[in-house]
Amino acid sequence: MAKDLLQKKKTKDIKIYCDITKCVGCKSCELACAVEHSQTKNIFTALREKALPKKRVRAENVSSKIISLHCQHCEDAPCIKACMSGALSKDEKTGATLHDKDKCVGCWMCVMTCPFGAIVRDVENHIAVKCDLCPDREDFACVVACPTGALFVGTKEEFGKKIKQKKKG
Amino acid sequence: MSMDYVIIGGSAAGVTCAETLRKHDKKSNITVISDEIFPLYSRCLLTYLLAGSIEEDKLYFKDKSFYEDNNIKFYLCKRAVAIDRKQKKVSLKDKTQVFYDKLMLATGASPKLVDVPGIDKKGVFTIRKIDDARSIMKMLDRVKKVAVLGGGLIGLRDAYALSQREKQVTVVVKSPQVLSQMVDMQAAGIIASVLEKNGIKIMTRVAASEITGKEFVEGILLDNGEKFQCRMIIIGKGVKANTELASSCGLKVEEGIVVDEFLRTSDENIFAAGDCAQTYDIAREANRINALWPCAVEQGEIGALNMLGKGRAYDGSLSMNSVDFFGLACISMGITRPKKEEDYEIISQAKGDVYKKFVLKENRIVGMVLVGDIRVAGIISALIRNKIDVSSIKHLLLEDTFDYAKIMPLVSKFQERFKQEEYKDTVITY
Repeated sequence: MAKDLLQKKKTKDIKIYCDITKCVGCKSCELACAVEHSQTKNIFTALREKALPKKRVRAENVSSKIISLHCQHCEDAPCIKACMSGALSKDEKTGATLHDKDKCVGCWMCVMTCPFGAIVRDVENHIAVKCDLCPDREDFACVVACPTGALFVGTKEEFGKKIKQKKKG
Repeated sequence: MSMDYVIIGGSAAGVTCAETLRKHDKKSNITVISDEIFPLYSRCLLTYLLAGSIEEDKLYFKDKSFYEDNNIKFYLCKRAVAIDRKQKKVSLKDKTQVFYDKLMLATGASPKLVDVPGIDKKGVFTIRKIDDARSIMKMLDRVKKVAVLGGGLIGLRDAYALSQREKQVTVVVKSPQVLSQMVDMQAAGIIASVLEKNGIKIMTRVAASEITGKEFVEGILLDNGEKFQCRMIIIGKGVKANTELASSCGLKVEEGIVVDEFLRTSDENIFAAGDCAQTYDIAREANRINALWPCAVEQGEIGALNMLGKGRAYDGSLSMNSVDFFGLACISMGITRPKKEEDYEIISQAKGDVYKKFVLKENRIVGMVLVGDIRVAGIISALIRNKIDVSSIKHLLLEDTFDYAKIMPLVSKFQERFKQEEYKDTVITY
């Protein structure tokens, strides 16, 4: 599993998909995301950090349907166009939408334009935060933490294939 | 065929235009002409520089080597003074001539000034270019009291920046409220009270009638007879489009340079984008200038695609602004204060410093104000842009739990209206 995910890190146009039929809204993804983005990367010590770590994923629901929603790393990303400090940019190699926290001034133009509401404010540090596809680890914290297998990392084609197979099976 | 693309203006619209041209055309000559003294800086960051929250090296919004990397010829500190449409050439102030096949006017805007006696005294500033910020900062140590003329977005940002430098700031506002172009009275009240709580004095319904002093500013006289001392005055009254170049060569100009849906001016070889261009406004369904960074970037890109002959229509711009003063965030977009209220449906709620307002017309959202909690702003901006009928979800708009999932039924139902590809990715298993 871990090896597979490591390979995915190098694949172009990957992102995190959620199979809505499998998501139960347990918020394990939110917790794992926050811990991964803490300074100590440990749930117990993270709780004692000065500014509590921020999650970049949100389990949301509409009636009984639940989705764990992440940055969609849009190909033609509205947040990048809106970013006036040059903090948001496209990684041409991976297709990921990158956020440089040192350049971010917290103007919230990205919050204003993200069609998914996937960029949030880190009020203490006065910067925007979003899914960064876990650059500090070989896999993806939320995907590993998902107990129902709802979260999937890969390309659109790979996710499409997986869903098709599921329907057949 | 190799072309000569020339762009006048080196900010958001001009640079995005150049970048897009190069992305699609590796061979042609691209020239950017800028009258600035400093390349590739983000104008919107100047108040952050003034506030002391960033240094000059953070003003860049592209890599310093952008022009070199993209093989773009770049004229810095050069002013374009005339366009000869017959010979297709731009003349610079230093007599250099630059020939074009396709020309982009991204000439931007300049601060609106006020006609008040004493305006030419030393210590009166506007903040638009990096030299303005530098001059203000040079003087800052000698100044304790500052007056800002204008309570709009620019005026308040200037005031906020100077208060961060521990200056005593008084904002002089002609309207009955601050941010009158951006938000309604209620939102303005919340924002003004946070500013005042943090030491910025706001005076509404007054205007400056004279700036007093000899060579240097010493004070200000208001039209209600009051006067107060200050050593510095910042004019933060908004901007007007730089259209002189366009009108002097006979292009159609109204409030800004008039363009069609392909961002073409009245000359088919000349395009305009950014703060100087008058484009279609999606919420208002009329032409207007939305002098905003995201609009300039969008238009620079679309303009470039049309210079390349790709025939890409522009959906239009949406007015939108984001401010954050002392941790209180506010985002507004579209129509926030409808003139004929009876034609609109207003859904709003105030809870302490959190205020939400949605303006609907025929069940479509056409405007929004969020104060304190701005999390859903982007989701709403897409609903405005895509003109989505929200009758099935409008009872949820004010809920704290409102989020993207709540619009998934709409995304799934009206897939043709939610054009952006990534929407589909979220509803594959819906």
